Amino acid sequence: MFKKTLALLLVSLMIVTLALSGCSKPATETGSQAGGADASAGDVIKVGWMGSLTGDQAVWGQCELDTIKMLFEEINAKGGVLGGKKLEVIGYDTKGDPQEAVNVAKRLTGQDKVVAILGPNASGSAIPIAPVLEEAKVPDIATVATNPKVTVLDGKVKPYNFRVCFIDPYQGAVAAGYGYDVLGFRKAAILYDVADDYSQGLTEFFEEFFTTKGGTIVAKEAFKFGDVDFRPQLSKIKDANPEVLFLPVFFKEAALIANQARELGITAPLMGGDGLPSEQLFTMAKDAVQGTYIVNHVDYDDPEVQDLKSRYKNKYGKELELNGYLAHDAVVLLVDAIERAGSADSVKITEALETADVKGVTGRIKIGKDTHNPEGKEAAIVKIEGDKYVFQQKYSAKLD
Amino acid sequence: MSQLLQQLINGLSIGSVYALMAVGYSLVYSIMNFSNFAHGGVIMLGAYFGYYYLTSVGLPFPIAFIASALTTCVLAVIIERGAYKPLRERKAPFLYFIISAMGTSIFLENIVIATIGPTFRTYPEVLSRTPIQLGSVSIGRLDLAMFIISAICLALLVFFIDHTKMGKAIQATAYNIKASALMGINTDLVIIVVFALGGFFAGIAGVLFGMKYTVYPQIGVITNKSFIAAVFGGLGSLPGAVIGSILLGVIETITSGYLSSQYRDLIAFVLLIAVLVFRPRGLMGKVTEDKA
Repeated sequence: MFKKTLALLLVSLMIVTLALSGCSKPATETGSQAGGADASAGDVIKVGWMGSLTGDQAVWGQCELDTIKMLFEEINAKGGVLGGKKLEVIGYDTKGDPQEAVNVAKRLTGQDKVVAILGPNASGSAIPIAPVLEEAKVPDIATVATNPKVTVLDGKVKPYNFRVCFIDPYQGAVAAGYGYDVLGFRKAAILYDVADDYSQGLTEFFEEFFTTKGGTIVAKEAFKFGDVDFRPQLSKIKDANPEVLFLPVFFKEAALIANQARELGITAPLMGGDGLPSEQLFTMAKDAVQGTYIVNHVDYDDPEVQDLKSRYKNKYGKELELNGYLAHDAVVLLVDAIERAGSADSVKITEALETADVKGVTGRIKIGKDTHNPEGKEAAIVKIEGDKYVFQQKYSAKLD
Repeated sequence: MSQLLQQLINGLSIGSVYALMAVGYSLVYSIMNFSNFAHGGVIMLGAYFGYYYLTSVGLPFPIAFIASALTTCVLAVIIERGAYKPLRERKAPFLYFIISAMGTSIFLENIVIATIGPTFRTYPEVLSRTPIQLGSVSIGRLDLAMFIISAICLALLVFFIDHTKMGKAIQATAYNIKASALMGINTDLVIIVVFALGGFFAGIAGVLFGMKYTVYPQIGVITNKSFIAAVFGGLGSLPGAVIGSILLGVIETITSGYLSSQYRDLIAFVLLIAVLVFRPRGLMGKVTEDKA
């Protein structure tokens, strides 16, 4: 009898744990629920957020959500928007899973009736939510989703998708241009994630621009998400003897690759996109990533970002990750659109977003009507020296 | 030529980690005839225990290493008592064992996500990252250590199985559990020992894996590869598990080195299917009918 009870207990414990971690529960709710179910009425404007709160990119997701919470609190303390309405964020975990992102989008638009959605940071999750947004007529402002397909598909702009960051072709082109013209590299190797849109996008455009300029790709190797050992590919790359190793990947893979590359005796400098910068990069591979060039959205030493950085650090006791800066700009863009729309109606907000031109901490964000991208945004080239990202220069590449 | 040598060394070092993980699967399979998918979860816990013994508790590395192996040893036995023994007593079909094992594995992964958190953690640097250079070939110190530790552990295991009374009992039970029980062997104890051994190796593999890569709740996904290696070599056979693992490691690296890294899993697993089609018991597996 006792054993039966024990077994039952164990089973119910398992179910409870599964339920707790398996379902995406609202990660946060700021402010009161006074507004009731109808978002446009009452004193509260509900804004959705989605992103990874579990998985490799949880560091970034958490930072985005925390930044938005902090900014909303600040805005609410100053009297809110539209003359006194409070902003409230409802955040859900996408687990970095595109399928889950669609569920979250349905939940935010259908159940929570938000007026707009901020995030996600991953292109893989931002691309599939478009039909949900179009059905609900709710705009989404992606933070660091840099794949072109997030806002434009088959040459047609998606009506409800916007973003505050530049796009992959641009990042790949900047990396190739800066590497070839400024640093003088002629032979490059690429190690990319074959199962990831972001990685593939950067690779494609890096390769195209680097070879058009006259450089050669001496090795192009792939791995699959979840891999932790890259030595077979790196041994091959070492044989090709490149002058620079381009890594269009995220920081965890970048750190592992950097360590393993140095172990194999590859001394070429590394170069990467906005997936690299993270405090974690230094804990994992500080020595191996020295001298790495990164195409980034923001210069961390820019005087204009210091205020946001210190506000975040004072509140949460952590360094602000890259995503926080773009989450900040997404909030700025949204608040501007709400004010100009003069109402919390999601269709009017969408219209206002199309003509937005605001100044964020990552630069001027002038939304292009045909692309829904911030146009002509400059990239910041930073170089890792010690445990700092040292700003090199602003660099913009011409596409076409 | 030097690339081939380097790739072989890469393959050996990946294979030796697979081997440490694979023996755990094989040991349990040889006695209980089911695939203990909870093993991956135990390996993951081993990596986390090692991490916390080193960082929070501040134990010196060798002690932290042994301590986490002992912890997972106990955990594996607890899992056996909680998740499998009740089924065994009720003579449940093997399918139930596998489902229970999968449940445990998902449970372990999610309890770590819920309590410790989903983000990965990095081990402090125990061994220097500067590799040993042999001509144009470089060998990571950690890889060498991994290879040696795996070899020692596996040698000790073989000695234990072949030369101790308990080892003989394990062999007899693996051959026929009912007859062994009739001959006076305490098969329940044998099962505990087998899980304890599997758990011990899981701890060692977990710490080594965590040191080399990182610690994260989904380590279990990688252990699937070692399970496949165990099937490849012949489930239930220890030498088979080791050989299967080393082979899988080498095939993987050679494929990614000379063909394309995108074909790595494709070729490795086509080979696996081929082995199973022409030799269903794996390279060195024992002949049984009812495999699950």
